[in-house]
Amino acid sequence: MSAALRILIIDDEPPARDRLKRLVEELDDCQCVGEGSTGQEALQLADQLKPDVILLDIRMPGMDGIEAARHLADFEAPPAVIFTTAYDQYALDAFDTQAVGYLLKPVRREKLERALKGAMRPTRAQMAKLANMSPAGARRSHIAVRTREELRLLPVDEIQAFIADQKYVTIRHPAGEHLIEESLRSLEDEFNPDFVRIHRGALVALRHIEAVERVADGGYAVRLRGTAESLTVSRRLGGELLRRIRARD
Amino acid sequence: MRSAFYLPDFCATRTVFVIVLIAQLVALILTLAGGDRDLDFWIEHARNAAFLLWVALGTICVLCAVRSQLAKLSIARASALALALMVAVTVGISELAYRLGESFTQPGTELGHLFPLEHGPFLLRGGLISLIIGALALRYFFVTHEWRRNVEMEARSRIHALQARIRPHFLFNSMNTIAALTRSDPQQAEEAIEDLADLFRANLNEARAQIPLKEELEVARIYQRIEELRLGNRLKVEWRVNEIPMRALVPSLLVQPLLENAIYHGIERLPAGGTVIVSGERDGDLLRLSVTNPIPTDPHPREREGNRIAIANITQRLELAFPGKSGIETTQTADNYVVTLTFPCIEQS
Repeated sequence: MSAALRILIIDDEPPARDRLKRLVEELDDCQCVGEGSTGQEALQLADQLKPDVILLDIRMPGMDGIEAARHLADFEAPPAVIFTTAYDQYALDAFDTQAVGYLLKPVRREKLERALKGAMRPTRAQMAKLANMSPAGARRSHIAVRTREELRLLPVDEIQAFIADQKYVTIRHPAGEHLIEESLRSLEDEFNPDFVRIHRGALVALRHIEAVERVADGGYAVRLRGTAESLTVSRRLGGELLRRIRARD
Repeated sequence: MRSAFYLPDFCATRTVFVIVLIAQLVALILTLAGGDRDLDFWIEHARNAAFLLWVALGTICVLCAVRSQLAKLSIARASALALALMVAVTVGISELAYRLGESFTQPGTELGHLFPLEHGPFLLRGGLISLIIGALALRYFFVTHEWRRNVEMEARSRIHALQARIRPHFLFNSMNTIAALTRSDPQQAEEAIEDLADLFRANLNEARAQIPLKEELEVARIYQRIEELRLGNRLKVEWRVNEIPMRALVPSLLVQPLLENAIYHGIERLPAGGTVIVSGERDGDLLRLSVTNPIPTDPHPREREGNRIAIANITQRLELAFPGKSGIETTQTADNYVVTLTFPCIEQS
């Protein structure tokens, strides 16, 4: 006989977690290895506990279930995901088209058992499509970066800039710099209109711009809040940058 | 929505038909009342009908042309002006008829006896009859319009009450909470079911026009109890309603949907939850009720649609209950959302 299925339960409502946990514990060969109440916790716990399956609520404060699943799909060995929801008409349609497992709350024991057996790992393409179909949109609230020892979630609102550097993109964040493997182009599409391109290799957060300065040769440079260094603005994009800053005020 | 102005579009076929019909009935009355004993009944009726048809068509043309101007005036002024125009058209057409008659009344013509003989009295009679019939017609248009409007308003308010009903989201989440409690705390599960039953009874009731504030707040408190089970200590509600009269009448489902919104868009989206404040104050003859909730500092507001629908719905039902005397105001700061309702304080006798 194989080892018990290791299950992580994520839901923001304590009674909902309690019930799922009880149902899971009552099934044969199933074991609840942890519980969490937000999308962020789902990722941290999945990273630490390496569960086989996550029962993931959709509507949660902070990061929602759909976004959490999208980050999970980027894991090296992501756990299988089963979404749980009380009522989300749009989500059910999306799950059916993407063939993603889901359970309706209150969850029935037989359905839980069947879903756990057929649970599948989320793929990037699937989750990206799912995010596009959700009313929250494809815009992530966090960017997941993996340091040597842990998984870190950087809130997009705190990110100051994305700087392209050959194959990678560097994230400028008050707590330091991180490398991610994404294209500046796709980041620009996703986080428009909060970020603006200032030259071919840099995307800066409008909300973190402290000043736009004139530089010696007649061009502009951007100074970000809390940093001493300035980022050069290309001649071509200077006008657009000033227009976007004015539009914000 | 039906336009607020009661005069119909005089260029519409239906209205033309109604006015021509009225004119023909008046012609019949005049003939039956019988002025000219020496004329054959049908000849006299044909004459009256022909004359009134011109009056009717003339009136239709004039009123059709000026309706949009009349609509800008108050009802009393518009009515008086419409009536004056009708009388003027009648007198004008009477004058034409008299002039026409003069050309026929030369000795030897056969048609002379169909036309009026005296000038002044003929115009005066025509003017007076048109004044009376015109006033009756306007009254008819006014009453029909009001009646139609009432029927529509009632239908709308019923639809609005239906829309104000609880979100399915809440129902299924509550069921899930109760399913969890049945084993861990059967007594609390029992209470939750009783609360849910009361809440749905209040929700499914035929939308009574108005209920005392006490009842409405009770429904909102039951709702709060159910949500507390689900959200635990993330939800706190502060009630500051001691200074308002509990016998004041309000449309049903006024406060509960606001509390529901405050939780759905505010508390539920905050990992640590927060406090919803329901406060009421009396300001002379007015009552002011407001619901304040914290909101996440999310630069991308989502699911705002549902909130707008609920606010529009409450606005309309308040307006139906207190026409022209109620107000609703929403303000949003960086971390708070406030809805304030203002309406007359009418206490239950």
